[in-house]
Amino acid sequence: MRVRDLVYETATALDSNRGRSLLTILGIVIGIAAVIAMTALIGGVKQSLVGELGLNQARLVQLYAWPGRTVTLDDLEALEELMPEYECLTASSFWSFEVKNETKKFDASVMGVLPSYQKVSGLKMAQGTFITDENEDKGDLVVVLDQNSVKQLYGDPNEEVVGKTVMINNGSYTIKGVTEATSALMASGGTVYVPYSTCATRLSGYWGVDDMMGLAREGANMETIADKTRDTLIDYFNISDDNAEDAVYVYTMQSVIDELNSTMASFELLMTAVASISLLVGGIGIMNMMLTNVTERIREIGLRKALGARSSDITMQFLLESICLCLVGGIIGILVGYFGSFALTGLAGGVFDVGGEGNTIVPAIDMKSVVMATGISVGIGVLFGYYPARRASKLDPVESLHYQ
Amino acid sequence: MAPVIEVRGVHRVYESAAGYVHALKNVSLTVEHGEFLCIMGPSGSGKSTLMNMLGCLDTPTSGTYLLEGVDVSTLNDDELAELRAMRLGFVFQSFNLLPRATVMRNVMLPLIYSDCPVSEREARAVKALQAVSLPVEYYDHRSNELSGGQMQRVAIARALVNDPAVILADEPTGNLDSATGEMVLKTFRRLCDEGKTIVLITHDPDVANVADRTVHIRDGKLLTDEQERALIAADPTTRSNT
Repeated sequence: MRVRDLVYETATALDSNRGRSLLTILGIVIGIAAVIAMTALIGGVKQSLVGELGLNQARLVQLYAWPGRTVTLDDLEALEELMPEYECLTASSFWSFEVKNETKKFDASVMGVLPSYQKVSGLKMAQGTFITDENEDKGDLVVVLDQNSVKQLYGDPNEEVVGKTVMINNGSYTIKGVTEATSALMASGGTVYVPYSTCATRLSGYWGVDDMMGLAREGANMETIADKTRDTLIDYFNISDDNAEDAVYVYTMQSVIDELNSTMASFELLMTAVASISLLVGGIGIMNMMLTNVTERIREIGLRKALGARSSDITMQFLLESICLCLVGGIIGILVGYFGSFALTGLAGGVFDVGGEGNTIVPAIDMKSVVMATGISVGIGVLFGYYPARRASKLDPVESLHYQ
Repeated sequence: MAPVIEVRGVHRVYESAAGYVHALKNVSLTVEHGEFLCIMGPSGSGKSTLMNMLGCLDTPTSGTYLLEGVDVSTLNDDELAELRAMRLGFVFQSFNLLPRATVMRNVMLPLIYSDCPVSEREARAVKALQAVSLPVEYYDHRSNELSGGQMQRVAIARALVNDPAVILADEPTGNLDSATGEMVLKTFRRLCDEGKTIVLITHDPDVANVADRTVHIRDGKLLTDEQERALIAADPTTRSNT
């Protein structure tokens, strides 16, 4: 029997049972749709996170120490020299002040930052530019807002505000730029950035550093760097071993990503369980239908055998039928899963606390999962189609021909 | 040239709930090329068992069956299937056509199990359909749209399409009225006259009339000429045209 004939017979048989075939493959459709929706959503969430965090985020290390004295910019410089594995280190200080313009005001987090802060943190500019070295050196009265602050003051986060002025603690600051809304994983709400020196001299009167961040060199092993940074901080600040646990803080974004991955993994496990059960039930449905098929077509099987079909021809014919059923189910499932995942993006955004304002999760489907889903469908077809097909092929031609 | 069919001392024993059933007892039979043989017997006489055996759907418990000189007892299932595909044509009482397939597809069905090239299939099917005089306009009809006589002619065409050594017909007129039955029998007669070998089983003496030779089977045994004459004397409706 030629492949062409097999395909023709299969198509004819399935076509004549269209309604029943479609109902039977529903289980497969649901199972495969679950697999595809899951992988598409997880892919989408991951992509959206990478997009929000910026590519540098995996190289970001937050570090701080409480040595019992004020940490200053001199310490930062010294540490930078001690740790050449960092491309650069930056420092910031946090304050809270009322920020206002002619019409509105709000309580903002005010950060005094070095110009390198933008590069290290991966902040993206929506308008204008970030604080420059010159601003820092001169202690200029300039400010960079984030989009949340712009919304608080002007109503629309996309309002053109560069060049306008705002009042912070009775000082008038010129807006230099606007950063994109920060990720929900980092501080949200209105944040404004001023040069570190301006903050220390005009606002806080305090030169101490509240937080440090470092950007590791490309290709570095983050865990090694974190360990080495911890040791360096302990050495540099002369912290006793008993205190080390509490007085030194080193945190890499890698661990955030790891944490996220483990949340994903449990979500994945749940969906896999749902998909497996659905596929198992679907497979049993396929087997049931194929057995009914064989019983209904006993005379046809007897006839085919009388006309010269070998047992293997009959096996192949019925096996191919069940494979095709499952494959059609799989293809419908892939489409349903893909489009269904768009409907589910809102839900997933809530679960993972990403995709906030201005960010939407776009389901990402990769060839790998499509190939896998197709493979699973074919596998189910073979697994649950084999028994009915064997049963058909073993029928006695004489008895089958006279079956009523 | 070896006879088409040569059966020597064949027994067929079935195991059933009631014990062993001897369906065929020491049956010997020879069918020559171009012969039209009728096997006649009442139901339960073993004629269907004999037919299934001749059609390689069943194998003898003992004895030998040579089809064109080949001992079929030496063949495995796949080889038997190949033999059925290449050398045998079946015509059944209940036609056994695929109801939703077209006439052409039905006639071409045996060819998908033979080594006939795809390009030749249609030509061979058309030739077979012409041999049974089915009008061209029915070729693309679905087989369940045909009348009984037309269906049986399609079935005969299907049996012819692989140019078999012998056509085996099992009560081919059993489901037809006498007029269409007559037409089907004429078709067989004409095919035989064109050189085909035909074995037909029936319980109807009128049907047996078209055959060249008739053998009677009773209780699994072929009757000798003497027994046959006794049978005819006892029951004048049973005739033989040997």
